[in-house]
Amino acid sequence: MPEKISFTLNGKLRVVEVDPEMMLVDVIREVLNMTGTKKGCDNATCGTCTVIMNGKAIKSCNTPVLKASGAEILTIEGLAHGKELHPIQKAISESGAVQCGFCTPGIVMELYGLFENKPDASESEITNSLNKHLCRCTGYEPIKDGALMAQKLVQERNKELVN
Amino acid sequence: MTYKYIGKSYIRPDAINKVIGKAQYLDDIRLPGMLYAAVLRPEYAHAKIVSVDISEAEKMPGVVKVVTGKGCKLHYGDNIKDLSPMAVEKVRYIGEPVAAVVADTTFNAQKALEKIKVVYDPLPVYVDALDAMSEDAVLIHEENGDYWHLPTLKPEPGTNVANVYHLKKGKAADGFAEADIVVEGEFLYPLGSCAALEPHGSIMWFKEDNTIEGWSSSICPFIIRQDLAASYGIPEANVRLHIPDIGGCFGYKSDITVEQTVAWIASFVPGHPVKWVASRKEDFTSTLLGHGIRTIMKIGAKNDGKLVAIEAKLFHSGGAYADTAVNVTIAATHNCTGPYEFNHCDLIGYTVYTNTPPVGAFRGYGHQESQFAIERLMDILARKLGMDSFALREKNFLSEGKVNALGETMWKTNGDVKACTDIIRSNIYNKEFIKEDDDFYYGRGYAALMKSPKGASFSTKGCYLKMNIDGSVSVNMGGAEVGQGLRTIVQQITGEALKVAPERIRVYNDIDTQYSPYEWQTIGSMFTTQGGRAIIRAAEKLINVLKQTAAQVLKTDVDYLDYDGDFVYLKNDPTIRVAVPEISRGYITSDGITIGEVAQSVSDARLPRYANPDKNGQGSLGVEYTFGAQGAEIRIEKKTGKVFVDNFVSTFDVGQVINPLQIRGTVLGGVMMGIGATLYEKLEFDKEGRILNPHYFKYHLPTYKEAVPQTIHFIENPGTVGPFGARGIGEHPVIGPAPAILNAIYDAIGVDFFEIPVTPEIIKQALANKQQKEYA
Repeated sequence: MPEKISFTLNGKLRVVEVDPEMMLVDVIREVLNMTGTKKGCDNATCGTCTVIMNGKAIKSCNTPVLKASGAEILTIEGLAHGKELHPIQKAISESGAVQCGFCTPGIVMELYGLFENKPDASESEITNSLNKHLCRCTGYEPIKDGALMAQKLVQERNKELVN
Repeated sequence: MTYKYIGKSYIRPDAINKVIGKAQYLDDIRLPGMLYAAVLRPEYAHAKIVSVDISEAEKMPGVVKVVTGKGCKLHYGDNIKDLSPMAVEKVRYIGEPVAAVVADTTFNAQKALEKIKVVYDPLPVYVDALDAMSEDAVLIHEENGDYWHLPTLKPEPGTNVANVYHLKKGKAADGFAEADIVVEGEFLYPLGSCAALEPHGSIMWFKEDNTIEGWSSSICPFIIRQDLAASYGIPEANVRLHIPDIGGCFGYKSDITVEQTVAWIASFVPGHPVKWVASRKEDFTSTLLGHGIRTIMKIGAKNDGKLVAIEAKLFHSGGAYADTAVNVTIAATHNCTGPYEFNHCDLIGYTVYTNTPPVGAFRGYGHQESQFAIERLMDILARKLGMDSFALREKNFLSEGKVNALGETMWKTNGDVKACTDIIRSNIYNKEFIKEDDDFYYGRGYAALMKSPKGASFSTKGCYLKMNIDGSVSVNMGGAEVGQGLRTIVQQITGEALKVAPERIRVYNDIDTQYSPYEWQTIGSMFTTQGGRAIIRAAEKLINVLKQTAAQVLKTDVDYLDYDGDFVYLKNDPTIRVAVPEISRGYITSDGITIGEVAQSVSDARLPRYANPDKNGQGSLGVEYTFGAQGAEIRIEKKTGKVFVDNFVSTFDVGQVINPLQIRGTVLGGVMMGIGATLYEKLEFDKEGRILNPHYFKYHLPTYKEAVPQTIHFIENPGTVGPFGARGIGEHPVIGPAPAILNAIYDAIGVDFFEIPVTPEIIKQALANKQQKEYA
């Protein structure tokens, strides 16, 4: 039986009728037509479906949609303000980390979950986060470069916000 | 040579859309009235279909239509028409489409699928080519030999051999008679999956006006268009294919894979677009696989190291349909010599029907599979001769004036393989080296390599340039962007050729067969070379149009004029000139009369004199080669048998680097893919032909933590075919890792391996065996 649930998606309250068996990724993509979040596998291995739920990066392909009830969810579409990219998006777009781009939204969201909570994350924390994501194109080096560049940009932005 | 826009790291034009989640991939497309398909796969890898009962499935909620292969007479394929959109009387592999449900949602389609009942009568299953070739083997295709095929192919009717390619140069027997020393081995590069992050998918729409419109995650829209038109008996012009952004290809989205199946399903619900997207499991079981090549190779040499003869037999487990495997076998066969000259060659490649998913292109296309054999054998030969392995290779390189197995002469403009191995030597051999410490064994190894494209007679690439009124330029081509960054390259080459800043050039975003110029398919690491040549030709035509118009405006002859991107001017007096924006749509005179043509042009390019093989299997089948070398410094953990690559060095003579950031990215990713095959990846089958690891958590792609430190160099001896001397690079980085690492493993622990992946368990076993031997 379909159930009505509500959550905040990229700052807007959404009320949807869903089959309770559905996973969050399918509600985001198929019910709400927000297609920036990708689906590369169905068992939380590839990381392309990563979104932020209540401040934490999670894999939406194995998160039952009922868990999202009342939650605050942020997807890749919620990061940029018009033409102004989030610092992580800027860094990832310039470091060579983008080839086919299919893993990119998940990686950007993973780094968002990390750096917005912990701007001074250590290199091993960055490694542990990015190890949850598969990339078949880049050999990961440009993703690492992008992550380090992103961290710097986030730190600089935070400093400016304080001043 | 210095260029204005070539050799610089421009950021790819699709980067922004990809980081904000607005790039549109196949599954992101929404169309009005769209229905969704789910496909039933068999329980057996080889079986007769006794009956299919769809009555219960038809009653399920949301179901619009249930489709089977009953009565389907379609056969399709680019090389051998042995494929069917859906199984008709038998199934030949575990992922084959048996039936499908079309419903209002994917969810409902999948639910209904469970209600279809199929009765099978199982047949013997062959996973390996050698088993399928045994005398008492049951035929996987009774029709082998009867299917339409390219005239150059030689199927063996009454057997499971779909094609035999036999290349003869000189006389191998005479060659081996001259040899002082012979080494041989049997090598296996097992079945794997390209496993791009975006699974395959397709949307097909049979329209009421008797046209077909489709979208696919494919790199060959024009082949699909041609094939669908032939299958459904309508003009090619009435089939329109769109290619959106593609989330990685690496080979298996070339040729026709899932499109004909989705079209067959959609043909039962005309008026509705039907979408099907593979689950990750289906992406493994029901699209193309790669590799599956067993190479039995023997090489002979004189005592001074001069190679004299090579004999190789390649047994390619081609899967249930051979259309896509056959050219991989051929490429693997004629490229198995690696970058060496042999006066006598006897090389045979068998493409064999087996009961696995069909095998097709995998980045490298036959090169890594058979050059794995030659590069291991060259090291083994050097050891037997007591000769330095670099000296042995150098003595035999396909350098200027040497003739390859196909009979093609190498010129200086083909590049310099010795310069590549020199860099490997100085990078990993000219330094202190310890063999062993408490925890690790250390080793170094390398491989030289050669890459040809795999072309076809009609393998052209087209370019359409349109200069706009303000002098900015729009470029349309048929090349598929799979992540390799060809849009950036198109921008830079067009900029250089037309002397227009790349910022003022907009490159096409998607391919649409209605508007895009013809391209055969975006394969063989040939887009930069051939596509780039097409741009150069189109740019020359466009500049000529501008000059023709300017000649009328400036009242002079075309050959007295020059062009600098901003103006067309008189060579002997540059002050007499006309600005490009004034003539880009023809020149409007003061009385309103327009003279001259609109500045736009179309051109195409293919490989020069590419031809079919002759009766000896020789001919200009390669044409454009790229040479390179790759080396590895490794460490093997004694306790676990784990191999750590501490430095992986790659060098290629690419003729001309177009974009340093992108070319480095190509090599970084390609090397990791090669290392994946060498150390981790293998598709596992049981005896019944079931795939045991069709998931990312079971099929081990290299992870972030497994990325290795890389050193990358490029040599630039310009070629003659590509733009500004550039050669291909897309597939090349995957060729060297397996032999380089296995040569390094021998250096570390003195054990020769002939199969990949070499897992920690295999190494631990080898170390234990060795210890036993030493104690005995």
